[in-house]
Amino acid sequence: MSADPNMKILVVDDMSTMRRIVKNIMKQLGFANVEEAENGQEALDKLNADAFGFVISDWNMPVMTGIQLLRAIRADEKLKAIPVLMVTAEAQKENLIEAIQAGVSNYIVKPFTAEVLQEKMNKIFK
Amino acid sequence: MLNANVRLYDELGELARYLDTAMRKMAEVGAPLVANNAQLPQATAHLLDLNTMTEKGTLEVMRLTEIIQDNRARAAKELSTAVSVLEAVDCRTLAACLGKTAQDLAQDDKHLMDIMTALSFQDLVAQRVKKLVTIIEDVHRKLVELVVVFGLKQECTAAETQGKAHEMLKQLEASKATAMKQELADELLSEFGFK
Repeated sequence: MSADPNMKILVVDDMSTMRRIVKNIMKQLGFANVEEAENGQEALDKLNADAFGFVISDWNMPVMTGIQLLRAIRADEKLKAIPVLMVTAEAQKENLIEAIQAGVSNYIVKPFTAEVLQEKMNKIFK
Repeated sequence: MLNANVRLYDELGELARYLDTAMRKMAEVGAPLVANNAQLPQATAHLLDLNTMTEKGTLEVMRLTEIIQDNRARAAKELSTAVSVLEAVDCRTLAACLGKTAQDLAQDDKHLMDIMTALSFQDLVAQRVKKLVTIIEDVHRKLVELVVVFGLKQECTAAETQGKAHEMLKQLEASKATAMKQELADELLSEFGFK
């Protein structure tokens, strides 16, 4: 199964530059239906209000962190099937393990390239 | 009993002298500490300014890159249409030539995307700056506690105006206040006859 180019994607990051980078890469990869959220709480509100097929989230954010968002998604019956890709500067082994235990679909360490993002997406939607 | 009292008195005297020396030494060390402490909030503000400046610059590069990407996408689409038309009228050489140009465009698309992703440095820099700011704020808070506990504030006035850090902060502050926008510079230049 490859990713549906029309699916709605949510990019969650407190930095506007990172949201724009991810959004741009998604557009170049053929995914134009991309929305943004500045933190985990805003993301959760959007996820509850609309149908999203994929979440790309940062780890360190104010209000609600990426790992808290991931746990909230996995704990919610309606949202738990959504693939979540973490894109983060948290490059410690413990962080990765924590994310895996929380149910992350894949993990990218910043800085990253478009190829890495595409490769991870292919793995998630294969 | 009398001997014991005398010994106790001597020891108390010794202890009082020790405390007095310790307090004096602390005051000596405390003055520059307090002076540096006063500079910390300013340093923090400058660090946060760095974040704003890099974010602004990065967003501008992104905006321009996206314009180029969109223009190229349109050009690629038109080229593709032209190639199809030329092939239909059996103009193969010209079609191949345009096809090659389309390939070159596609290669540069990758470079443009690499420029976009390379700009993620701004996010990493901003995260480090935020961590530094947190550390500085913590040091500042602890120094303030020291100032309050040992009453060092009055003795720091001379030290406040000395030191490299103070001089550098003064320069940074001055550059903020005196930084001129190009429009203003042009206005002044034109007043002096520069066209």
